[in-house]
Amino acid sequence: MIRSLSISFLLFALTINVYSANIDLRLEIFSGDLSMFDNSIIPVITYSDSSAFSPSSPILIFEDGDVLTIKVVNSDINVHGFKVDGLIDIGSIAAGDSVTQVITLIAGIYKYYDPTSIENQYLGLSGLIHVKESGDLTPYFYWNLREHEPELNNAVSSGGSIDQTLYSPKYYTINGNSGDAIDNDAQAKIFGNVNSEFRLVIMNHGLSIHSMHFHGYHLLILDNSKNSSHNGRDKDTFPVYPGHYQLLSATPDKPGEYPIHDHNLIAVTGGGQYHTGMITTMLIAP
Amino acid sequence: MRILLIISMSLLFGQIAFGQIDYTKLIIGRNQGTHYFHDGDSTRVFGFTETLSEETKIPGPTIEVNYGDSVKIDFWNVSQGAPHTIHLHGLDVDQQNDGVPMLSFEVEHMLHGYYYFKAPHPGTYLYHCHVGSTVHLQAGMYGLLIVRPSNGEMNLNWDNGESYDREFSLLASEIDTVWHNDTILDHEHDPMMPLMVPETFNAQYFVVNGLSGSQLNDPANYMYFQPNEKVYMRLANLGYYGVRYIFESALNARTVASDGRPLPNEQLGDTIEVLPGERYETFLQFGNQSSSILTVEHFNLNTLEVSASQEMVFWSSSVGIDEISSVSIYPNPTDDLIYFSDSPVDYDITDITGKAQIKGFSKSSSLSRLPSGIYLLRIEGRTYRIIKN
Repeated sequence: MIRSLSISFLLFALTINVYSANIDLRLEIFSGDLSMFDNSIIPVITYSDSSAFSPSSPILIFEDGDVLTIKVVNSDINVHGFKVDGLIDIGSIAAGDSVTQVITLIAGIYKYYDPTSIENQYLGLSGLIHVKESGDLTPYFYWNLREHEPELNNAVSSGGSIDQTLYSPKYYTINGNSGDAIDNDAQAKIFGNVNSEFRLVIMNHGLSIHSMHFHGYHLLILDNSKNSSHNGRDKDTFPVYPGHYQLLSATPDKPGEYPIHDHNLIAVTGGGQYHTGMITTMLIAP
Repeated sequence: MRILLIISMSLLFGQIAFGQIDYTKLIIGRNQGTHYFHDGDSTRVFGFTETLSEETKIPGPTIEVNYGDSVKIDFWNVSQGAPHTIHLHGLDVDQQNDGVPMLSFEVEHMLHGYYYFKAPHPGTYLYHCHVGSTVHLQAGMYGLLIVRPSNGEMNLNWDNGESYDREFSLLASEIDTVWHNDTILDHEHDPMMPLMVPETFNAQYFVVNGLSGSQLNDPANYMYFQPNEKVYMRLANLGYYGVRYIFESALNARTVASDGRPLPNEQLGDTIEVLPGERYETFLQFGNQSSSILTVEHFNLNTLEVSASQEMVFWSSSVGIDEISSVSIYPNPTDDLIYFSDSPVDYDITDITGKAQIKGFSKSSSLSRLPSGIYLLRIEGRTYRIIKN
């Protein structure tokens, strides 16, 4: 079977044709710094699909029935793990150790995460897996939402715990990006065409609730992990709860450039600057 | 000059695209209003009005149009300072009429800007300024927009939809007065430069239709109904907190639409959670009750904790409240004892829902064991509203 797969998993899965449904994936856990648009530095821990630190955990795209051989290497100084509810459970991985598991993938949208603590997930050890239906050629875009309170990142990095009753984030990111970098992220900024369907997966990896509003269009909820009874709703504003995702579909009927943003308008700011947070646009060609 | 040219082009293209205009609405942008809270404090606000003489209020006037109408919003900016726009939230207008600076046009002081749209599916929508939107929306530049059925029928949710006897629209938001300081509101405007804003938002006032605290359950702001009426609620949120509208279970709340579209399946449940930018439309079925309480919770989207829980009152028009000034009932409000007669009389005190609290034969009564709130005192066939601090 000929189909497409991204070698880096950071760009669309359209770059390299592969002939096998057997996929080897190596994820390595590193601690490092996430840079914000204003050059502020926040300590994070992430999974990387290369041998170097990545500022955000990668978006992993597969196809239904793929046989995945996943090796997770822990290059941090603390114990971590890797889990996908209902799909993969590698368990905990000691510092400097690695674990390999083989799994046959089932179509769906999943969150992968470090099950050892909510603090590690807050710091960045979670990401999105999309196992597409076989033959699904619909263009997809992906948003991993996350908010950041620098003082909390510093405290948690030093062994502290999260008290959400005091949570007051300062930065808001999509796929680890803030400011103009969001618009330069090909997986986040939506490019579409009139009369051509696109889909968007929004997954919330943060602690806050986000309320994503679309200008120009209502979108159809195809799948909603928080409440499946909401599937089929046609809306312009979508609550995305912590740990959950929404799969949305639109077929544009008019060209133009339309903003998409969190309508908690504090989340479109960052570091006291408007608008550097959860906002980008969809650009629809005639 | 560039803006004038763009506005002229907008007018030209708008007229070409939408042909004959069925409805034109003048909306005026202001930036020198004062909003008064329930505790006597006040703060400066921006806002929208329909005339130059009227007071700037939060929220702005509700715009009502009919399904299929070609609508022209004539936006006149009469406010020195930053320009403003009107974003037609949820109406799926084209880019030129979307009200987003940089992607369409903004309207400078004393200029008009024109927005054109074809009214989409009947339902509940919003409008607000999108210039420095975090600041200008918080400042008060927002309101509801309702699309009625194509024939303009007032008691029908959409063409061939479900009828009702009465409707109420509730638009929730909050106010953090820090964001209303002149240094924030009178910001420099350069669309090429970042707009500096406070790093956090911590509301002191949680409002519905601009009302907070005791204003929400003041009889002047009761939602009056008749027995056995079917009521349609338009529930919206344009704040920076989440909101839960919690109805009494006896009303059998049934939510049928969100964001201006019918739900594929009705949502049954007394609690309707509305996040920023969302709208829901909900049927309530009243019976013979004299009143009903609507609890409105604002919850922090970061801590997920409830920041305010306030009550609004549905009140049956068939139940009268006697003027307290006609008798000697004092002190009211009270911390404990309330006196209501020179000689002992039969009396009973209920909560606002009619649930019995205290009954007796006396010249006075102690309310010390009752929680703070509004109660009804009945003596000699008359009903009086009393308040326990």
